[in-house]
Amino acid sequence: MKVLDHLEEWIITFLMGAATLLIFVAVIHRFGAGTRIPYVQDWLLSLHFSWAQELCIYMFVWMAKFGAAYGVRTGIHVGVDVLVNRLPEDWRKIAVLVALIGGALFTGIIGTLGLRFIWENGMHYALFHLLGFATGDLPEGPTAPDLEWPTWIVYSAVPLGSYLMCFRFLQVMWTFVRTGEVPHHDAAHVEGLGDDDPSFNEAVLKVGAK
Amino acid sequence: MSAQAPAAPWGPMSKPRASAWLIGIALTLLAVGFIGNVGIVFALLVALMLTGIPISIALGLTVLMFLFLLTHVPVEAVALKLFTGIERFEIMAIPFFILAGSFLTHGGVAKRMIAFATSVVGHLHGGLALAGIVACAMFALVCGSSVATVAAIGSIILPAMVKAGYPKRFGAGVIVTAGSLGILMLPSIPKVIYAISTNTSIGALFVAGLFPGMLLTLMLCTVTWYIARKRNYPRLPKATWGQRWTAFRQSVWGLMLVVIIIGGIYSGVFTATEAAAMAAVWAFFISVYVYKDLTLKDVPRVLLTSANLSAMLLYIITNAALFSFLMSHENIPQAMADWILGKDLGVVTFLLFVNVVLLLAGNVMDPSSIILIFAPILHPAAMKLGIDSVHFGILIDANMEVGLCHPPVGLNLYVASGISKLSITELAVAVLPWLTTMLVFLVIVTYWPALSIWLPKAMGMM
Repeated sequence: MKVLDHLEEWIITFLMGAATLLIFVAVIHRFGAGTRIPYVQDWLLSLHFSWAQELCIYMFVWMAKFGAAYGVRTGIHVGVDVLVNRLPEDWRKIAVLVALIGGALFTGIIGTLGLRFIWENGMHYALFHLLGFATGDLPEGPTAPDLEWPTWIVYSAVPLGSYLMCFRFLQVMWTFVRTGEVPHHDAAHVEGLGDDDPSFNEAVLKVGAK
Repeated sequence: MSAQAPAAPWGPMSKPRASAWLIGIALTLLAVGFIGNVGIVFALLVALMLTGIPISIALGLTVLMFLFLLTHVPVEAVALKLFTGIERFEIMAIPFFILAGSFLTHGGVAKRMIAFATSVVGHLHGGLALAGIVACAMFALVCGSSVATVAAIGSIILPAMVKAGYPKRFGAGVIVTAGSLGILMLPSIPKVIYAISTNTSIGALFVAGLFPGMLLTLMLCTVTWYIARKRNYPRLPKATWGQRWTAFRQSVWGLMLVVIIIGGIYSGVFTATEAAAMAAVWAFFISVYVYKDLTLKDVPRVLLTSANLSAMLLYIITNAALFSFLMSHENIPQAMADWILGKDLGVVTFLLFVNVVLLLAGNVMDPSSIILIFAPILHPAAMKLGIDSVHFGILIDANMEVGLCHPPVGLNLYVASGISKLSITELAVAVLPWLTTMLVFLVIVTYWPALSIWLPKAMGMM
């Protein structure tokens, strides 16, 4: 379980950083290729970054799906709690449970829909092809326009992410039933900044004090 | 999965009262459901939301339930939407802006901006409070989120103000409202979301927020100055021009982001998304290598928190894409537009109506969800009435600002409450003078379109 937790965090951290770097490099490349420096320009022109945008989108789609699952664990998905918080305690518990079941149900359905979709759009063919079964007239499925990767691989983020999210909802529900606690994202908590860090105060007041 | 509220401002209701409320709500929703398909969609959505389900999932479940139970739309249509919902490069500006904001918050940019603002306005009545507002405005120029602005500026200026002898409530009230400038000035995440859901130019929306933002800064400063003078709050000694210059030179690294973002988009060097990515890289660079307030070891944590927040927003956007698919399938935006036009409201009444609806929605939802749900519904009607799309966007943005500053869901309040350790109820009272100012400002923005659209027009961006 710990491994899964870390893997999840590691994947989304990596995707976030990598996508940023990718776009940065692509923009610098476009700049560089536009300026006239002998040899360097020719070399830059020989590189192609036309796929960068597409890759960036896919990286963020993956980040979004896995990040959403991570978000269930950190309780960042906010809902309307105006009514729920005012209900009597035992009724509130029922409402929270209903909400969690709704979440698990939705992500489960979406995961299944997504799985069916990619199955029909190339996964079936790829799997049978790989295992040496007769593929018959199964469709090979479309590929991404620039990267030319099969789309079913790219889109498998949806079933994978949704099932993971469903699992997280069930996990949270289990904890809730046992302990009555739901994870909740404390927006008010400002990380990394001290409440009363003297160096800040000095930095601010220094100018006037001199 | 409820909630951002650390402590509900009100206690629980008694059982009989609660059941009366529940029955009342159920009857109302049933009645709404009888209006027709439009009614059913919204009754379902509201019913799901009231259970405290995350908004993103409430949107998605509404679509699924409606499609399964009441129509014959093939499920494949939904599956396809799931994939294509966020497959647009423009949307990717959101994670990049969030990342840039995180680096700016943790990287010492705010500290230098506050020092500069203090050196300029510190000697006036309520100097530190004014400096807080000006610093918020400066930070807003480069950051696209209100919450980040409140966190970045507030966590530094509030302790400083308390130390200098200001009442805590005064300082917190100032910062909560000034922080909302974050989504009005130049780059802003709600503006990107609006641009995506209505196909408006992102660049024009960014630039359009500049003058309204400056006006709001001025108005907030005036109110603060007036209160501070009446109550005789402390003033700082006047800084020399040399000190001001030093402070400016130190803060200029952060302010360079304005040149990168707006200059880049305006000159056509970057798209908005690329500008956001460049901003993130630049913010990383100055935090780690120029100001050195952040070490390389901290970077993964910043990436993770930004990814967490971005994923949440992207998840809402995916499900909102499903929802708007359902709405256009049922022709709801068109029907709403026709209905509103049929009432012969006229522009003035229509805008008033929009403001009231959005302010009410601001009581229960966060800005991104409100924009994703309401913009596609209200935008067609606004277009038919001849309202400018950019002006309409700024109006919605200004509405979101107000929603961020009052309970029960105003996130700025929660952040400020976390910094100041004041309760939400106390803060809600503390912000009143500035909240009233913001409402006046909202009226100005609503009925003075030129304030928003003059600049992008003059720059030839629309």
